[in-house]
Amino acid sequence: MKLSIADNVHLVEPGDFEASEHWYPRVLNSNIHPLVSHFLHLTQDQFIARYNRLNPTTDPEMLKEILSYRPEYFKWSGTDMMHVTNRAGNRKLTIIETNSCPSGQKSMPLLDLNVEQGGYRKLIEQTFKPQIDLHDETGALAVIYDKNPMENVGYASTLADVFGEDVYLARFLKDDPNPPAKFVDNKLYVKSEDESWIPVRAAFRYVTQEPWNRLPLKSKTLLLNPIEACLAGGRNKTEAYMAYRKFNEQFRKYGLEIHTPETFLEVEHGDLPEYFEKLGRSMVVKVPDSNAGQGVYTVTSEKEMKQVYETLKQYQPEKYLIQQLIYSNHINGSDREKAWYHVGTIPDKKNRSYAFDLRLMMHYTENGLRPLAIYSRRARLPLNKPLPEGASSWDLYGTNLSVKQTEGWSYDDERLMLYDIRNFGNLGLGIDELIQGFIQSAMATYAIDRHAIEKFDKL
Amino acid sequence: MSLKILVVEDDVVFCRLLTKFLNNNRIETRDAQSAARARELLALEKFDVVITDYKLPDEDGLSVLEATKNSPNSNSTKLLMSRFRDEEVVARARELGVVDFIQKPIKPAEFLELLEKLG
Repeated sequence: MKLSIADNVHLVEPGDFEASEHWYPRVLNSNIHPLVSHFLHLTQDQFIARYNRLNPTTDPEMLKEILSYRPEYFKWSGTDMMHVTNRAGNRKLTIIETNSCPSGQKSMPLLDLNVEQGGYRKLIEQTFKPQIDLHDETGALAVIYDKNPMENVGYASTLADVFGEDVYLARFLKDDPNPPAKFVDNKLYVKSEDESWIPVRAAFRYVTQEPWNRLPLKSKTLLLNPIEACLAGGRNKTEAYMAYRKFNEQFRKYGLEIHTPETFLEVEHGDLPEYFEKLGRSMVVKVPDSNAGQGVYTVTSEKEMKQVYETLKQYQPEKYLIQQLIYSNHINGSDREKAWYHVGTIPDKKNRSYAFDLRLMMHYTENGLRPLAIYSRRARLPLNKPLPEGASSWDLYGTNLSVKQTEGWSYDDERLMLYDIRNFGNLGLGIDELIQGFIQSAMATYAIDRHAIEKFDKL
Repeated sequence: MSLKILVVEDDVVFCRLLTKFLNNNRIETRDAQSAARARELLALEKFDVVITDYKLPDEDGLSVLEATKNSPNSNSTKLLMSRFRDEEVVARARELGVVDFIQKPIKPAEFLELLEKLG
């Protein structure tokens, strides 16, 4: 490894991978839960047969088409889902968002203790390498990033090992006036020693903050993922919902449907109070292109409504996405079908049950779409206890671990729930829920990729 | 070799990679991404070696070296690193007790060898 060959550029060499640098310490010492391991080893045919058995109105051929689908743009994705139920006891996993730069490797226990690079290697070897081998461009390999160095150094060193060549690791920040990466004629260049610019044939991309400001459409440098995946829904919640809606219109007749909370698009700032009343004085407001828990607000009181109304003035003239709140608990007398509430974690010894999400990372392989990494995050406060004075509803419903601080991002690791022997049982999930989550994620990825094709192939 | 060193460099990834490498080689390493944070650490802890980048977001590396004077680290071994060698900067650094100027890029293994010699 050569550190700092240019400002914020390092050269990663084959043999640089150090496991302790790319997983949280508690993950390194964990063992994957056998049920999760079993789930991750199921074949596509097993997924389809099981899902079809429990959802007999599903057309298995259509499901096979989706799971075998080869995305044009969105070959690596992560979905956040919530495990919800209603008064009738109908449980389901509902999609909260789909992400085109998903984190997760550092939170995933090793599936095979003999494969030291775990999911990092699977993604590079089974998804990125086959594309790079076919890509007709010259130049170096790179990783460009603006967050999450723990995983990105891992990807860079895995890439170096898989290809047996040096990899440029360049930080590409939104506000950097002199970034060490640039696109010229849609080809990526990174700064090297002596201030020279090196052309790049393929780059692993973890640029998350307004990436459309730096990445061009139709990049000549192969990117995993290209910006098209972000613009069609991987980094835009409104576009994602439009993609899901189109998917549902097309596939509902085959018994396939992407589950989301009831959603309203392009709501004007001035109309927010009206939606608050219309949705029973609780809702979720989302700034469409926000991420990492920023720009998402749960509103459950008049006071929070006023706060959010004031806060969102800064985004004018933005239009918002409004979703029905998934409730903390069952509400007597509420609509049997519409009142979805959190299943919550298994109560602990103090009888506390928390809202949690499920993050499933997936990738395209020669065997179709496959689950790659999985973990959960729980909210700060329990669902089934009174909200302490001064606490906000976000403490009850918000599960994101990223905490934006003045000097970058930190992670609230205490709320991370690994799918290991110790933690997984606390989630109350079985293998059928994991299969259901995988099918939901695959459909969301399919929907966003098809939406990207519609939006960008003609350009 | 039992050494405790302070690395002052604003690039978090640089600090992370170098710190891990040195820790794996049984060198206790702390890092700071700004001169202000470096000053805090210098006032609180004693280091055998202080290495600072010349270019920092708040001040320059020479001010960090200056701060070692009236701290428990007045006798620590001081190193300055930068991408470009500016003789004027090097001369000022020597006056502040710097024993070596290290030009970037840095190979952690070579840096370890240097520390072993200093140790």
